[in-house]
Amino acid sequence: MLEGSILQRLDEAHCHSKQPLNLGVYYKNTLVALCHALEDFILDTHSEPISIAVFQRGKWYLEEADRYSDLADKSEHITILTCPDGGFQNHPTSDKANVELVEIEPQDPVSQEWHLMIISPTYTAMVLCQELSDDDYGDNKPKEDLERKFYGFWTFEPELVREAIEITIDHVKGYRPELAEQLSEKVARMSHIYGLRQRDDLDAVVSQVVKYLQNSKKTLHHPETASNFQGFKDLDENIVSNEMQAFLRMAQLLDATDVSNPMAASEVASMAEAMSQLLDLPAWQAKRLYLSGLLHRVGLPDVTRENKQSLAQEQALKNRSTPKASVLRVMPQLEAVSKILIHQREAWDGSGIPAGLAYDAIPLESRIICLLADFQQKMKAYKQYSKDDNFLARALEDCQALAGRRYDPKLLDALSLLVMGMQQGMTLQGYQPKIATGMWLVNSNAANRNQIVSPEP
Amino acid sequence: MILDTIRAGKEKHFPGVDLEDEELTDCQLEKINLAGANLAGTDFSGSNLKGARLDGANLLGADLKMTDLRANLLGANLMQADLSNADLRGSNLRGANLMGAKLAQASLSGAFLSGANLTGVNLKGVDLRGTDLRGVNLNSANLKGANLSQADLQGANLSETNLEEADLRGANLAGANLTGANLLVAELEGSNLDGANMERACVLGTAIVR
Repeated sequence: MLEGSILQRLDEAHCHSKQPLNLGVYYKNTLVALCHALEDFILDTHSEPISIAVFQRGKWYLEEADRYSDLADKSEHITILTCPDGGFQNHPTSDKANVELVEIEPQDPVSQEWHLMIISPTYTAMVLCQELSDDDYGDNKPKEDLERKFYGFWTFEPELVREAIEITIDHVKGYRPELAEQLSEKVARMSHIYGLRQRDDLDAVVSQVVKYLQNSKKTLHHPETASNFQGFKDLDENIVSNEMQAFLRMAQLLDATDVSNPMAASEVASMAEAMSQLLDLPAWQAKRLYLSGLLHRVGLPDVTRENKQSLAQEQALKNRSTPKASVLRVMPQLEAVSKILIHQREAWDGSGIPAGLAYDAIPLESRIICLLADFQQKMKAYKQYSKDDNFLARALEDCQALAGRRYDPKLLDALSLLVMGMQQGMTLQGYQPKIATGMWLVNSNAANRNQIVSPEP
Repeated sequence: MILDTIRAGKEKHFPGVDLEDEELTDCQLEKINLAGANLAGTDFSGSNLKGARLDGANLLGADLKMTDLRANLLGANLMQADLSNADLRGSNLRGANLMGAKLAQASLSGAFLSGANLTGVNLKGVDLRGTDLRGVNLNSANLKGANLSQADLQGANLSETNLEEADLRGANLAGANLTGANLLVAELEGSNLDGANMERACVLGTAIVR
């Protein structure tokens, strides 16, 4: 990683923490689609963001200059850092009052980076990347523009975005101290009101990201695109992987914003996988269940949750901007998972939502997720707030009390076995999946797996 | 006919039988004993072979797509076999020959693969969590995006492998040969790299550099 670069500085700050950065590899077209989707969302957002963009070379900016003109009209401020390379100073966008161009020196490691940081009280997103160096490419140097590879990461997490912006402002200080100070003030003001307004719908921005990525894939296969390019498969996979990443990052953000229960997704996923072993479910179903666990908060139907531990504001925000399972349908490989999660609040006795399904009509996987999501929440609450060490048993008792009404009684038998295992030391790994490696989770061969299997094993 | 007997599922004892190129799709073959059998080109797709004995069997080019293959495959010949979407969780594949086999979307978590021949096999995005891969020859294998977390790769030959974006968290890579391997943004948190040979390996974005 380039010494002194923004990515490196952020990485260093996190490498020894519990959450090192989730890096991935990105081809140029993936990066462009991603950035366009996140930028264009500025046109739909409810507040005016501050953006900082770093383009590798001036000419990339020129390609984007017209778009940025529209973005500037809906933003509080845009700062662009780039090398002087072909008269962007002359483009009308640069003349806008709220657009500032910072010329950085070619030897500056930041000049090799490609970044986009967007912050507003209702929308935060960022892409931080560096291209592979000539040495890194080794024998596989790109012959086509499409083959250019970058590594880095992208996220919706407000804390990380703020941190990266602070590092960047610090870097700008070396060139334009007054602008740096101006930006610091603006960002500070914005951080102050963050969380007091309803966050923009995450499912809207994630849908946009996925759609732009899918369009990018279509363009790749267009006959006009470089005809002698052989590496389509890798590029296609990179796109699908990033579509998956969009949902996983959304799930991650939903978890992170619930300070009382920030590991819900990975714990439910781990338990779901353990339960599929106990129920002797086939491998493909176990994998799908695991993925459903990871995404279960994404797919929650829009009702008030009885999560009394959350702050009232957090609760209000969550209720109104909670994504719905239907957003998962934007990605065809997630259609089955979407169906599973739509029914995760059905009740065994038919009193649930949204369809009032009962008994075996409720997909097995939906029943499992329903039970485990509740169990995990109770387990967490008892662990945190009760005095006794028996939080597993207490949570299980609560669930058993609702057997036959809310939950499938046979699944409660499996859950008690699971609890026994946990009491005897089996741990929920708290295994956070490596987000950038969506590949092993995606079952692209899912044509005949799209039916949700309801029969009892 | 022997095939009908097998399909009926009551009898299980068929070691050494010759079923070359036969069709046994979507059958219940749990615990069947086909040790040392000639099953070259046999079509087992969709069948349940859980707990079966296939040790020493010849499964050259066999069709094992979507099978429940949590079985004993010790020393089996699986060259060119189609194992895509097969359930191989916890299976015994020690000393098996998997050259040229298709393993796309197969589940191999917890499988035992030490001594298996996996040269050049495409394991892109495959679930290999917690597998026993000690001493395995994976030279030039494609392991891009594979999940090798908690896998035991002690002394394995991973030279020239593509491990881009692979998950190697908690993996044991002690004494492994990683010369020329591509580990671009591979996740190595908590892995053991004692005595691993990393000459010419690309470690950009990994925990080693950070």
